[in-house]
Amino acid sequence: MTSVRPKLKADIPKVITAWDVATGATVYQTADRNWSENIADAEVVVGEAADAALEAAQGDELRILDPYVMEVTADGEVTGRETLRETIRATGPTTHTEFHKAARGVVDA
Amino acid sequence: MYRYDEFDAQIVRERAAQFRGQVERRLSGDITEDQFKPLRLMNGVYLQLHAYMLRIAIPYGTLRGEQMRKFAHIARKYDKGYGHWTTRQNIQFNWVALKDIPDVLDELAEVEMHAIQTSGNCIRNTTSDQFAGATAEEIEDPRPWCEIIRQWSTFHPEFSFLPRKFKIAVTAAENDRAAIRVHDIGLHMRRNDAGETGFEVIVGGGQGRTPHVGVTIKPFVAKDQLLDYLEAVMRVYNRFGRRDNKYKARIKILVSETGAEEFTRLVDEEFEAQRDAEKIVLPQAEVDRITQYFAPPAFEDLPDTSDVLEAAKAKDDAFARWVRVNVRPHKQAGYGIVTISCKPIGAPPGDVTDTQMDVTADLAERYSLDEIRITHEQNMVLPHVKLDDLFDLYQELDSAGLATANYELISDIICCPGLDYCNLANARSIPVAQDLQNTFADLERQDDIGELKIKISGCINACGHHHVGHIGILGVDRKGEEFYQITFGGRADEKAAIGQIAGPGLRAEDVPSALERVIETYREVRSSKDERFIDALERVGHDPFKEALYAAG
Repeated sequence: MTSVRPKLKADIPKVITAWDVATGATVYQTADRNWSENIADAEVVVGEAADAALEAAQGDELRILDPYVMEVTADGEVTGRETLRETIRATGPTTHTEFHKAARGVVDA
Repeated sequence: MYRYDEFDAQIVRERAAQFRGQVERRLSGDITEDQFKPLRLMNGVYLQLHAYMLRIAIPYGTLRGEQMRKFAHIARKYDKGYGHWTTRQNIQFNWVALKDIPDVLDELAEVEMHAIQTSGNCIRNTTSDQFAGATAEEIEDPRPWCEIIRQWSTFHPEFSFLPRKFKIAVTAAENDRAAIRVHDIGLHMRRNDAGETGFEVIVGGGQGRTPHVGVTIKPFVAKDQLLDYLEAVMRVYNRFGRRDNKYKARIKILVSETGAEEFTRLVDEEFEAQRDAEKIVLPQAEVDRITQYFAPPAFEDLPDTSDVLEAAKAKDDAFARWVRVNVRPHKQAGYGIVTISCKPIGAPPGDVTDTQMDVTADLAERYSLDEIRITHEQNMVLPHVKLDDLFDLYQELDSAGLATANYELISDIICCPGLDYCNLANARSIPVAQDLQNTFADLERQDDIGELKIKISGCINACGHHHVGHIGILGVDRKGEEFYQITFGGRADEKAAIGQIAGPGLRAEDVPSALERVIETYREVRSSKDERFIDALERVGHDPFKEALYAAG
């Protein structure tokens, strides 16, 4: 694993995040077990559902790599100790704002 | 400059073809990520926060216009229109798609370039003095020996799976611009009493979470014994270096734990034990062949001074300042060494756009005998510019945003990509550098402060060399918040030292004002304008600077 991230308690809302194999883009797992560059499309999972979602992601090596769970609010907003890192992954570098996902129309500005 | 022979060219082409097959198998699912990861790392492909990052080797930081132009093309076609110079004199592209990397490697092979030895536990790209072959300070050009080390170390079967990565730097000047004392092996070219040129061998330097200044284990190794001696060092490291804990696997830990004296004994024992059959006999003809590639270019016979230059300086104050700050003496009369700052105020340190790369390529061909150097301080150098041409060159650099007169000044900051890009970082570093550049933007003020090296890392791996900054800044994570630990007194030169932590970390927004107070203290205590920050710090001690750092409120 490239990303060894902090362990999260079972009852914390989470989304599964990873990187697209072909492009390296940051992606999030959706409810239909697909992947989107937009965190707003991610399925929020808790408890055993999160374990199952992560297991499914780990079996999806053809499309993504290094999946892990990240903390979000019940509404799917980035939160927790890694808020800055995950916000940067979700939106783009705080420098080079011209490269933000919003600039490509991937996420809302 | 060295040109690849048929063997070099074949190696690079075959390596690119091999990686193309590996990428295809990964994308088709024939190999897993666990199987693929070591293969991609051996080809300089990392996974960062937003994308893959491709690191390309620039051996000893030397390249020609055609190669720079290829970087511009890659930046435009496969990335987002820019590249980033690294502290190993390499280039990184931060947004390259894996599916495109085989094509990028094919394109690089067309101009004798590749990503070999830019990652993994092997001997990495050998670095050197960016002024090599141009400065009068050196006893001879060290680059033929960098090239010999490159050829010896590339795909060396015995040293392809070392306990950890291994970095070698070489200089031949007393003023060390290559930071050789914070390398796994630093080689300083020296003359012995008989007037022969050889190498002082310094081992066990490094940064990261346990910084060490290297120790001299051999004051003089003759040229014809260099590779044998390096092999002896590598064998001792390969045998005794720790593989159970990656944080204790670098040679600096082995040297520190074994003791320099015992480590030297082990190396000498290994060196003596090499049977004659094992000795690497460097054919003199081959040494001569390689050296010939680095023979001084066809300099013109010119006077020491230039009336054209003096007239332009008299007319244009900004140009005069740039000449004073960014141009250094050349060994050849009538020439100068030009540092092109890649630290314009407020921009990410070390970034250059595709357009700037194209401009630099053109200018190198027209004004610098087709030579460019990349520095470990993330700048570019045109090593051979006629003094008569400096004003024309300056104007063209200025038009391209490449004429910032801040070489070695407070805004010439080494900075890692930090949390904006890096998967290992704990805190951002580029915004801190930009805030400092904006705070000290005034060039008059920078000039008054004089030489001052700030180096910023976004985590303890120290890619931004913060340990050896006159002022070092280390980003740390404290319960999800970024804080910045300040160190004083580090230096990477011939008097290399590791900086000492001043005290508790600061919030990002407090760093510029805290350093302003430190700088004011320096201006108050310096004995004259000529006493540099680092010299004043060493003379008066750290206490006044620590007090200033924490004086707020």
